[in-house]
Amino acid sequence: MSALQVQAGELLASGKAEVVIGYGEGTRGRVRPVFVRTRADVSLLVFDGRCTANLTVYLAKPEVGRMGKAAIVATPGAVRSLIQLIAEHQVDPGEVVVLAADDDAVTLLTDPAALEAYAAAHPVTIPPEAKAVTESLARMSAQERRAFWDAELSRCFKCYACRSACALCYCTRCITDMNQPQWVCVAPHALGVMEWHLNRAMHMAGRCVQCGSCTSACPAGIPIGLLAMEASRSVEKEFGAQAGLRCDAPPALSSFAADDRESFIL
Amino acid sequence: MCSDPGQNMIKSAIKEKNLTGVVVAACSPRMHEPTFRRACAEAGLNPFLCEMANLREQCSWVHPRTDATTEKAIDIVSMLVAKVKRNAPLFPIKVPVTRTALVIGGGIAGIQSALDIANAGRQVVLVEREPSIGGHMSQLSETFPTLDCSQCILTPRMVEVAQHPNITLHTYAEVESLSGFIGNFTARIRKKARSIDERSCTGCGECVTACPIKKIPSEFNAGLGLRSAIYVPFPQAVPNKPVIDRGRCTYFQKGKCRFCETKCPAKAIRFDQQDEILDIAVGAVVVSTGFTVVETSFFPEYGYGLYKDVITGLQFERLLSASGPTLGEVRRPSDGKTPKNVVFLACAGSRDPAKGIEYCSKICCMYTAKHAMLYRHKVPDGDATVFYMDIRAAGKGYDEFVRRAIEDDEVRYIRGRVSRVFERQGKLVVKGADTLLGGQQVEIEADLVVLASAAVANPGAEELAQRLHVSYDGHSFFSEAHPKLRPVETNSAGIFLAGACQAPKDIPESVGQASAAASKVVGLFSCEELTREPVIAVVNRTAPPAYSTCAGCFMCRSACPFNAIESEEIKGRDGQILKTLARVNPGLCQGCGTCVAFCRSKAIDLQGFTHEQMYAQVMDLFA
Amino acid sequence: MTTELTFEPKIVAFVCNWCTYAGADLTGTSRIAYASNVRIMRFPCTGRIDYNLVLKALEQGADGILISGCHPNDCHYSTGNFHARRRWVVFRHMMEYMGFDLRRVKFAWVSAAEGAKWAEVVNTTVREIRELGPATEYTELHRKGVA
Repeated sequence: MSALQVQAGELLASGKAEVVIGYGEGTRGRVRPVFVRTRADVSLLVFDGRCTANLTVYLAKPEVGRMGKAAIVATPGAVRSLIQLIAEHQVDPGEVVVLAADDDAVTLLTDPAALEAYAAAHPVTIPPEAKAVTESLARMSAQERRAFWDAELSRCFKCYACRSACALCYCTRCITDMNQPQWVCVAPHALGVMEWHLNRAMHMAGRCVQCGSCTSACPAGIPIGLLAMEASRSVEKEFGAQAGLRCDAPPALSSFAADDRESFIL
Repeated sequence: MCSDPGQNMIKSAIKEKNLTGVVVAACSPRMHEPTFRRACAEAGLNPFLCEMANLREQCSWVHPRTDATTEKAIDIVSMLVAKVKRNAPLFPIKVPVTRTALVIGGGIAGIQSALDIANAGRQVVLVEREPSIGGHMSQLSETFPTLDCSQCILTPRMVEVAQHPNITLHTYAEVESLSGFIGNFTARIRKKARSIDERSCTGCGECVTACPIKKIPSEFNAGLGLRSAIYVPFPQAVPNKPVIDRGRCTYFQKGKCRFCETKCPAKAIRFDQQDEILDIAVGAVVVSTGFTVVETSFFPEYGYGLYKDVITGLQFERLLSASGPTLGEVRRPSDGKTPKNVVFLACAGSRDPAKGIEYCSKICCMYTAKHAMLYRHKVPDGDATVFYMDIRAAGKGYDEFVRRAIEDDEVRYIRGRVSRVFERQGKLVVKGADTLLGGQQVEIEADLVVLASAAVANPGAEELAQRLHVSYDGHSFFSEAHPKLRPVETNSAGIFLAGACQAPKDIPESVGQASAAASKVVGLFSCEELTREPVIAVVNRTAPPAYSTCAGCFMCRSACPFNAIESEEIKGRDGQILKTLARVNPGLCQGCGTCVAFCRSKAIDLQGFTHEQMYAQVMDLFA
Repeated sequence: MTTELTFEPKIVAFVCNWCTYAGADLTGTSRIAYASNVRIMRFPCTGRIDYNLVLKALEQGADGILISGCHPNDCHYSTGNFHARRRWVVFRHMMEYMGFDLRRVKFAWVSAAEGAKWAEVVNTTVREIRELGPATEYTELHRKGVA
């Protein structure tokens, strides 16, 4: 049995968790989420390089909440999103324990302080391909950027996998599902797609923990996470607030400082 | 249109045509919106179904007579028509009011506010941290510019507070928390254990005489006199009941003594008394917690704390006061001798950005003149010298007063800042520059140096502000809602400011502001219900299981300038919490809509400026 | 008579009630003439101005946007403009990142006393937008969308 399976088994046996949310073998060599509720089933749990999806996306779902106290297998990105969910009052830290997993070890985290320490010790890593795109975007003129996003987004057919994969897209009703008023055009045409992704990015400002789940989830291969990340990074750069590091962090976007930059204002 | 015939036209149109909305295309809504809304209401149409299209100030008065201007006018009217179609009837919000006021701090400002409110027939709860009310004013000798004795004018007010049927006084007490909102606050008050049964104590003072611990520096005398462990802060204290300083009492420290208990004829000593917690419902709060002066460590260059004869203005007040440690004779702390040379340093700490206090403490120019004058009256052969930066004596009779000190009482005023106070052969030397003589160096030997030390916020002011949810400035003074037009209100509706907790103030100013705060409270209490504009934010409610599209992220909470966002728990039949959502407290919301623009799921909307109304205007413009 | 048409941009102004709207009223009472290209929408506070409305206006054919409210520390609600300012910083950044022309969205602080400034801000905006020509970025998207 792997260390992860042992620890999961102990949590279930001791009653510290009633469900372990983790990764299990799926079809065609892929992993899928599993919800382990008995000690006998811990053998279903796996953790390896394929396990990148952010499982904390399940925590805010009422049907998962009804399973009782949860233990969750979390990558460093998922630990950050859990911290952010706690800061946004979506998860009660008393109701969840974390089996933080990275390439080397499994660490049991049971309180906010431990989560914060783990997040601080595991800084955000940007995949090389995302870095390459970011760098090339920085060199582009506005028109080139416009053309780049126009081309990338033309492949979006609004499946909303990005939204489903994101732990922080927990709105009871998403802005794109509203029709009175119709803030976002329904159709997956150029305008509707741009509206959707700009809104999602704005909604992630100061909140995106850069876990990369949305990009991985996109079936069209659009580097969609860049938008949310950029919004969050702009908040970090301008206002010094990084998401996913403190369980009691105030909302960065709806705070202010008297000396926030205003050089753009006449 | 705003004339009677114009209004009548609208009224009859509403009736004849059964209108469900009105757009008045005329002047600015800032000018006549109330007029036309009233006219609509008189015709039976909800006033919030009336909008104004601003064709005058924002169109005809600023553009020439051209087709483009006409087009703009059509657009303006059309946009407002699009909006008004989506207006909903709104009704004023009624909030019940508990007609009892809480006054925090029993200095002159708190006393004045409490008396004014009580005299208007409303109940007042006055909470004072110290064992007696009176505040700094009770420590003062005489007051500028009339030289009335401070205690003579203050103590009758203190007694009036104690005896007023509408005032409940809690001394030696502090406000632990304040919850609720305008008209409906709950204040939690901690009455610290006095170790005395106040009801049986007669205030005879036998216990004080009996107490063997007598060498404690007296707070009232600013450290220049001594008190016992069981003590009454000063003879005219209200209430005139002693308190045991448990930190200094031999019984509390070592378990033995109880001399006071044996001597008490009323058997009023209670060693086992506990702090008492009171929850009081109040409708309004006046914060009047005053100020303090900077600490000893603030002036290493002036030797304050190092030389006994370098004292603060507050200490000098005690030396001048007939009830002070020297019974009003000016005798210096080191050896009790009458000083023949007294040097006063104005702006000690104030207006000194290097020390972090950029502001003017405002009261020092006047009290320094008073100090020098009183000293010259008491020691006619003594010399008084004042170092000053500027003389700020704006106020009724103030400049005349300073002139009197200089001209009649021959106080020597030197314009310049003092760099250092040091000792030379047993004498204090004040070294400064006379800037009117081109910065010439001046050294003056002094028997006593009095620092007009900067007035600063009380320690703990920030913490209190946080407990009360009022904002404070960079110097921890409490912030008024508007520096010009709402000087006594705070940003939290129903909480008002009086006196030096807002900024340094002299007595008449404090009293004036206290009465202003009282009149605000009395105004608020004039009705049983408070009527508020319905232009407020509202969190939507939907059918279960969502209950609302609010997800409870509370991003709105940090956006709200008025602390109007609360949390609401939706509970199932078994009491289990199904969802926690944001709720807008209609008593606190002022209708800015900042929360609305932050809500990702648009679960919160602003009545009168809803998403649909604003969206419709944009869409209409390009239709 | 020339039939050549100069481009007259259509500009939507989103302003707060207490400062800029009052300032624009003062421009009127002072009879300071300015370009008539602007359509003013009144909000209680800059804090209420939703970027989605700005986006909608651009998509629907606005050639420029002007957002204006109280100067810092002058907000009627004390901090609404500070909150708005922070949001605009991020919104502008995202527009820029997606390659939109930021010159079409202007921001200003115009107080209730600055009637002349309002006229100047509008005139400057109109002049600059006129030079930029009709906005096509958004309407192009719209056209592509509908097609």
